[in-house]
Amino acid sequence: MQLNTELTRRDALKVALATGTAATLPLWAYPAAAAGNINFADIGVGDPGGDWSRYTQSSSYGVNLVSIGNAPSAILNVLVAGGGTGTYDVINIVGGMQKPLVDNNLIEELDTSKMPNWAKDKNISEFLAPGAPGFQFIGYEGKIYGCPTVLQGDSFAYLPEKTGELDSYAALFDPKFKGYVALEDNYTTAGQKTALYLKASGQADIKNPDDMTADEFKKVIDFLIDQKKAGQFRVIWSSFQQAVDLIVNKEVYVIDCWEPMVFVAKSKGVNAVYADPKEGYLLWAMAAYIVKNPKRSPEQEAAAYQLLDFMLGGWYGAKITTMRGYMTNTDAPDYAKAHPNEFSADDAAKVTSITENVRRKFAKGGTWQNRWPTVVNIYESEWSRFKSA
Amino acid sequence: MKATAWARRIFLLLPMAFVTLFLVLPLAFMLVVSFWKRSVINMRPAFVLDNYADFLTGTRLPVLGRSFLISIEATAIGLLIAYPIAYFLARKARPSWTRAVLLLFTVPFLVNYIIRTFAWAYLLGRTGPINTLLMALGLPGGPVDWLLFSQFAVLIGMVSSYMPFMIFPLWMSIAGIDERLIEASWMLGAPPSRTFLGVTLPLSLPGIFAAVIFSFVGCFGESAVPVILGGVGYQLIGNEITSTLDVLNYPLAAAMSSVVTVAMLALLCLWYLAFDLRSFLGKILSWRMAP
Amino acid sequence: MSRPSMARGWIWAGIALVVALLYLPLIPPLLFSLVPENANEGSTTLRWYGEMWKNPLLTGAMVTSLEAGIIVAVVTPILSLVAATAIRELRVPRLVLLLMLLPLFVPGVSMGLATALFFRVLGIAPSLTTISLVQILWALPFATLVVLTAMSTFDPVYLEAAYMSGADRWRAFRDIELPLIRPGISGAATFSLILSFNETIRTSIVQGPLNTVQTYIWSTYKEVGLSPTLYALMTLLIALTVGLVGIYLVRGMRRA
Repeated sequence: MQLNTELTRRDALKVALATGTAATLPLWAYPAAAAGNINFADIGVGDPGGDWSRYTQSSSYGVNLVSIGNAPSAILNVLVAGGGTGTYDVINIVGGMQKPLVDNNLIEELDTSKMPNWAKDKNISEFLAPGAPGFQFIGYEGKIYGCPTVLQGDSFAYLPEKTGELDSYAALFDPKFKGYVALEDNYTTAGQKTALYLKASGQADIKNPDDMTADEFKKVIDFLIDQKKAGQFRVIWSSFQQAVDLIVNKEVYVIDCWEPMVFVAKSKGVNAVYADPKEGYLLWAMAAYIVKNPKRSPEQEAAAYQLLDFMLGGWYGAKITTMRGYMTNTDAPDYAKAHPNEFSADDAAKVTSITENVRRKFAKGGTWQNRWPTVVNIYESEWSRFKSA
Repeated sequence: MKATAWARRIFLLLPMAFVTLFLVLPLAFMLVVSFWKRSVINMRPAFVLDNYADFLTGTRLPVLGRSFLISIEATAIGLLIAYPIAYFLARKARPSWTRAVLLLFTVPFLVNYIIRTFAWAYLLGRTGPINTLLMALGLPGGPVDWLLFSQFAVLIGMVSSYMPFMIFPLWMSIAGIDERLIEASWMLGAPPSRTFLGVTLPLSLPGIFAAVIFSFVGCFGESAVPVILGGVGYQLIGNEITSTLDVLNYPLAAAMSSVVTVAMLALLCLWYLAFDLRSFLGKILSWRMAP
Repeated sequence: MSRPSMARGWIWAGIALVVALLYLPLIPPLLFSLVPENANEGSTTLRWYGEMWKNPLLTGAMVTSLEAGIIVAVVTPILSLVAATAIRELRVPRLVLLLMLLPLFVPGVSMGLATALFFRVLGIAPSLTTISLVQILWALPFATLVVLTAMSTFDPVYLEAAYMSGADRWRAFRDIELPLIRPGISGAATFSLILSFNETIRTSIVQGPLNTVQTYIWSTYKEVGLSPTLYALMTLLIALTVGLVGIYLVRGMRRA
């Protein structure tokens, strides 16, 4: 059998590698995989340190995780050109990609009744259900396609010793910090946050920062270009690691970024604060989609659903929150508290505080990240104008 | 012709068949798509020049110019560093040392290019070791901002990434020059500079050709260095193409790629016109007298 | 000290400076690989050097990278040798050279995309095969130019001599030409390995169910941050190769 020969060959090489360095691999490095493997394409956030043993116990399937990029181009290249539809079972990325994925016939509509944990999760029922603004992260035209795996509300970070207390996105454009500000290279985060600020401060007439018209977005870009020409920004970053280093090395004092970057900076002993802006947050969720593949066996399909359900469960949620710093599901804090042999008291406290804090952000609101706005082409070409200005 | 000669000919065609199958045919398809029309989410066959017009008139064109310019600069700097090193290694150094030095130049490339480039960002930062050192030495006016997120940083990243690739072909072609030619020039009374310009340099053209291509094309296609070291939206053409792919604008991406490929081919053809291929592949081309 | 030997000293100093600049960016990864997870855990740790073998994603990626690297480093020089011979013997050297250089002229992401789409047309599923194919395609121009440069310094008179003394084509190639262009072939293999170890853009599109160290680094760099284990891996890789180069150097000097 193809799969078996593949496994033995790789195992032999792994053993050679491991013995060569006198190190040993833990047992779960070899997926028990009695029944087979679920190919799971993920952007890194969904990896519980390689430990899928609990899922394997209940489903008898292993998980083969493939690290991919989160850019829409990376995802679609891999699925459309790279033959990913025949390879991957589940793909776990930042949500809101339903339109291009469904219209290109790449993902399946989900039957939520196959996931017992779905109905238990309060995050889904309160923030992401049909009718709520967060539905755009998992649904499309009234149908559900994505299983939410991570939720978060973004703002910006700052170094209080250099800036004092900050509570508005205005800080990103404050001439006081000229040359010490960084933005993310992303029109759906930095672009939307700027729009939120311009609208709240009455500087631009923007009806809906979640889905701007071409003219509205052009106003945002014109504003950003003026700022850029005045030397406001030090850098436009494009990776997690880059942003962490900008904070840790104090290269910039105010940075449009993600909250886990601040957690990492704090663990390095840097006093950075993730702001609580009066304008609200940029809210978003990650979603796991089942890749459409008519050739997939019913057993494999069932195992894929089991994986989604597992990801809505307490252990996985708590594990991802402790490792990555994002909120997952509402079962996670209780599970971590109830299983002191699996999660230390510190970790359990961390899961609870992150969950409470992100739920507070969702309750407060702001703007909902829209990965596929109506005039997405204009967003892209205008953002390119900003970058080359 | 004998059967073995035919078999040999077919064997020789294998690499060409390989490239044709896996690259030329896909590129032909890409060229076709560049004339297609884009609809909201998909594209449909057509013959329109919209995508080319979009690229050649919009804000994306300067990115192409910038890509050419920075690649030329990095290649020129690289050549100025690599040629003397290669010359010295080929003509003046002991062979065992030469091999060791050549190996030393390749070792850093086993480290992933992102991690290497990223290390430069750390080294050149406002609070990085270089600035700390400069300040400790009493440099007035605070940290030097232009070390990082600047044209300077991009050049450092590119030269350190591609210059070492240039040394090897240069070394090989200089080392292969027949010693007797140089001695003859010397004996005829030519000063060292004349010998170099009249003998060594022209005879090392094959190596220069390879070295320039390695560096120029490498820099041109670089997408990590500008993003990590360039600063406020420093883009090269590769980043721009990826950006259009983010919104599934395949026709525009195809048009941009086609323009780049055609421009590169045009440069190669110019080279073909300016230099006779025989001048740098001389010996091996003139040799066709095999049984 | 005589003038030439002083000049020689200056040149060695210059080369040392360039080498130092190239090795400079390897120092931060070394330092980062020793930093503990939290600032309150002391100043240095060797923990990551053990930890990296416990991440199945990373070990799997190492295996794939190694496999692809070896395949690319073996196949590409052979193909490029054939290509260089074709440039020499077929009547259309310009066309062959142009074809061999073509993979360099196409922007990486476009080449990856175009080739990947073509794999789909041919029904080749994403696997180690597709990863190796795109990497060979990418390394081929470099390898061909290196082999060509080596050949360009080779005097065909030797071959004629071999033919005249009755050697057939294969014998003449094996006994005369191959030893003389060997630096070119080993150079082509080294270039191919290095290019394979650094290729991300094209590989990531056709990686299918596999990770390579490069795609894994790229993905984590973008979304969750580089783990110190990756710095440890890179440092280990460099330590091993520098060690090997050192042994090679010492042996070469003893022989000399």
